[in-house]
Amino acid sequence: MLRLLASTALISAALAGAALSAEITVGAANVSTYLDPGRDHSNVGSQFYYNSFDTLIGRNHDTTKTEWTPALATSWKLIDDTTMELKLRDGVKFHNGAAMTADDVVFSLNRMFQADFPPYQVRARDRFNNFAGAEKVDDLTIRVKAKRAEPLWETLLNLQQVMIIPAAYTMSLAGDPAKLEHDDFEAFSLKPVGTGPYKVSEFVPGQTIVWERFADFWGDKAPLDKVTVKHMPETASRITALKTGEADIVTNIAPDQLDMIDKDPDMKAFGAPTALFHVMIMNQNHPKLKDARIRQALSLAIDRDALNEALWLGKAVVPASHTMEEFGELYMPELKTFEYNPEKAKELLKEAGYDGSEITFDTAAGYYTNGLLATQAIMEMWAEVGVKGKINVGDKWTGNSPELMVRNWSNPMYFADPFGSFGVMWAPGGPSQSEGRFNTDDAYAAAWEKFRFSGDVELRRAAYAELMDRVKADPALLPLYRPYEAWAMKNSVNWQTKPGHIPYVLDFRAGSISFN
Amino acid sequence: MTDHALSQAGVIRPAGSRRSIPGLAALLNLWREANAVQRTAMVLALILLLLALAAPLIAPFDPNAQSLLSRLRPPVGFERAKLAYLLGTDELGRDILSRCLYGLRLTFTLALCGAVIGLAIGFVLGMFSGLAGGMTDDLIMGLVDAQIAIPFTLVALLILAVFGSGLDVMILVLGLYGWEQYTRIVRGEVRKLKEMPFIEAARAAGATPWRIARRHILPNIVSPLVVQFTLSFSNIVLLESTLSFLGLGVQPPTATLGSMVGIGRDYLPTAPWIVLAPAAVILLLTFAVQILGDWLRDRADVRLRSR
Amino acid sequence: MLAYTLRTLAKMVITLFAIVTLVFFATRLSGNPIDFVLGEGITKEDRELLIAYYGLDGSVWTQYLRYLAAFVDGQFGLSFLERRPVADVVAERLWPTAQLILSATAFTLLVSIPLGILAALKRKSWVGSAVMTVAFLGLAVPNFVLATLLVLVFAYLLNWLPIVGNGTPAHFILPTIALSGLLIAALTRFTRNAMLDVLSQDYMRTARAKGLKERRVILKHGLGNASITLLSVIGLQVAGLAAAGSVVIESIFAWPGIGQLLVRSAILRDYPVLQFGVLTVAIAVIVINAVIDIAYAYADPRIRLAKG
Repeated sequence: MLRLLASTALISAALAGAALSAEITVGAANVSTYLDPGRDHSNVGSQFYYNSFDTLIGRNHDTTKTEWTPALATSWKLIDDTTMELKLRDGVKFHNGAAMTADDVVFSLNRMFQADFPPYQVRARDRFNNFAGAEKVDDLTIRVKAKRAEPLWETLLNLQQVMIIPAAYTMSLAGDPAKLEHDDFEAFSLKPVGTGPYKVSEFVPGQTIVWERFADFWGDKAPLDKVTVKHMPETASRITALKTGEADIVTNIAPDQLDMIDKDPDMKAFGAPTALFHVMIMNQNHPKLKDARIRQALSLAIDRDALNEALWLGKAVVPASHTMEEFGELYMPELKTFEYNPEKAKELLKEAGYDGSEITFDTAAGYYTNGLLATQAIMEMWAEVGVKGKINVGDKWTGNSPELMVRNWSNPMYFADPFGSFGVMWAPGGPSQSEGRFNTDDAYAAAWEKFRFSGDVELRRAAYAELMDRVKADPALLPLYRPYEAWAMKNSVNWQTKPGHIPYVLDFRAGSISFN
Repeated sequence: MTDHALSQAGVIRPAGSRRSIPGLAALLNLWREANAVQRTAMVLALILLLLALAAPLIAPFDPNAQSLLSRLRPPVGFERAKLAYLLGTDELGRDILSRCLYGLRLTFTLALCGAVIGLAIGFVLGMFSGLAGGMTDDLIMGLVDAQIAIPFTLVALLILAVFGSGLDVMILVLGLYGWEQYTRIVRGEVRKLKEMPFIEAARAAGATPWRIARRHILPNIVSPLVVQFTLSFSNIVLLESTLSFLGLGVQPPTATLGSMVGIGRDYLPTAPWIVLAPAAVILLLTFAVQILGDWLRDRADVRLRSR
Repeated sequence: MLAYTLRTLAKMVITLFAIVTLVFFATRLSGNPIDFVLGEGITKEDRELLIAYYGLDGSVWTQYLRYLAAFVDGQFGLSFLERRPVADVVAERLWPTAQLILSATAFTLLVSIPLGILAALKRKSWVGSAVMTVAFLGLAVPNFVLATLLVLVFAYLLNWLPIVGNGTPAHFILPTIALSGLLIAALTRFTRNAMLDVLSQDYMRTARAKGLKERRVILKHGLGNASITLLSVIGLQVAGLAAAGSVVIESIFAWPGIGQLLVRSAILRDYPVLQFGVLTVAIAVIVINAVIDIAYAYADPRIRLAKG
């Protein structure tokens, strides 16, 4: 009987295979519990927005070089230092059939720039602080006002958080249909509507997302009729799902599995170092870690190349500083902020009079690929220089606890600029300082000002180098590596993440996927 | 001497009768009564217990010592194997044999702690409930009802969610397992005994409630408690490995059998030995303890019924 | 009779109220769940802002009263993670879990009752001992080990069966077997013992003496009477084991049921969901037990007669 059932399963899998030209199933390790590009900046969420939503200013994602392209705005120009005028594309439709107007665009931008909904306020504060608001000029023209001269106009208008959503639809969702209430945004996150090539036709939070081709999309038509994203939390299950026909593409494949996939004639893998750092953070204000030399030693003791070789099979990228190729002109590989030097670590520990007391390292068990393994390996490396480490596993975020000593974290590249990576987390008054584990002074703030607002690239580079020197002298973090993230798929599918995206984007727009 | 306490299950004995503790002779007696499966279970339990006790002596490696160069080596006899690692290595190059031995040791320890704590809690509450009656009784039995209505796995999930996972929390969780069973047994017996003439007599003679509990009630409920304890122990072994498997148990790098299977699952297609070795130990262990627990209960049941 | 029913109902409500209260205060012991909900990297001001927005400000008592008030409104709060009413979140999980448990129960009955009868009838031959040995061994396989092994063999190695979710009938096979393992072992033994008890009863001898065919005797009289014992066993064992087992099995097979939901809510501190989920399970257990009591009374002719 088992055999009979099994063969039926095989037949249905084969039938599914026949229809594959237009429909695929994606097995995702994580599926969002809500879908709102404005509210979200998680690695889980970033997978899903690009297929259904558009920004005003687009970007050529085929390259890491910065090339802005027209999207919902066809052209844009600076009117003065603090005002940008954008011409909107005519004839754009939302998934619900409504035409996109200047009102929708102003609504979408101001929901962030002048946020009143707490989750938006939080999201807006770290990246849109310099924007005063948007206003309508005519039906196809809008203006965005900045508070002071902004060197990153295009970068910031290209962010997921300012993707365009329909105003009237959103307001109609909850309570009074003519009024904007917080519950409207809550409801929107379960029934998202955008202008992208795929509409969300079904969404079960945390379980399933179904995209269907949106026939009235303004640009190149979507190549797939239907994409079903299913939650498949287990690594081994995802790989098996490719073999049993339950999935065509699966996400988050650890390097250890790649060899097996390469050997299997039915599947293949694609991977690249992600634009994100796994970092180790150290609490500058913990009594045991107050002495910068101790923190320097904890950092110097870690052989990141060995971690890369052992856990990532050498496929991750170990940075010399908090910098990424994607930053374009601000990529500064010449900075030597972080290094491995166990001898120096021992010396520093001795100088600082480290008393052998236990140093706890907090980590979340399943959150970062290889995170727990890396932590356990780091404990061994610390032991080599005489540091007594202890792992504390828990899913609770402890970065704001005064008892925090060391923990792992990630610094994603929210957008392709050091401001979108280091800057979001380590700005003066930013999350790290506000949580009480990172201190800044006037000199740091001055360097930060230059880095953030200078119109001149050389000045920005110099200022960033200064910030990195500060980080080296009094470390609060160590970027471990850019993890290597891989996707596996059936041999018949040709799909890759494009290098110009932020991490984890599942891009199924025209030109991104094909079949053999 | 026979396994007196067990054979006297449920029989009410007046104060002062001879108490006996099941000892070696009792074990021999059990052995004689056992069938082939049960004997296998007994031998197995003994071997596993000895292995657990001797783990620090016989384990070839420190269970947490990593060798990143020797990650994911298969057991001896397979390609790429290293002779030193008999059962292969895990994702951090730790010796699986050593981790299994220490994991076994920890499982035994945890289950024993858990079963003892559960017994203590259940016993005390049962005594209170039975002796005090009234509001106290209602309150305690209300708790018992609430506990019965929530599957224990959920209770464990809740506690682990509240207090986080760790060795101490794990002992607490396992210690809460089965208390309601003890409470019901003790309360039932106490209420039955309370009305017995010899207790009345003792009370009339001026014995304190504590003395009555210790001298007259305790000896009479030892047998059902022993049986419940055995059952509870074997279920706690299962529970511990299940919770560890779900990643809610003891924290890494400490090895428990369940967590080895749970974490190793990611490597099932590429390095199945990481899962298979601890899974086999779990199978042997649960086989031994479940069969023994079950058998002792059946034995007690038969005696109760044949009375 | 009415008074009895009312008292039982009142007791049930009190038990449930106690559970709600216990769960509420237990979850509040671990500090503010906002640190789980918000995750990493957020400034102090923003944290305060969101605590207020999520209704997690004020003292534990204020929150408890707020929670109870929401209960009275028939609102059970919003899921922190999914941003929708917890009743919706839990409701869509109930049917998949029920399906899995029903499927496992049916499979258990189909396998273990014939096996148990076989073992009882052939107790003197090797067939009987073989069945019982397998049942003994089955008791020793924790369901997560069984599930892992099934996945290894039937999915990874043979690629015969799907293992993620509950999309098709084929998806039911492995989770059902994995969940049934322990149940089958237990129920086979119970069936055998119950049959042995019944076979030795007088009415069986009478039936046989009346010249009825052995098969008929066993099916009609033997099974009919043994089913009383079986019912109570199924009630206790299945409700308990399946509820506990489904937590594990659902996690392994990504089954979109309530067990998986509770694990997720516990790990990510989605307290509104956790509270409502535990309450739902408790209600289900209480109701199932009540139904079994009634069925038990109905199935036992002695009880039925006594009432009639």
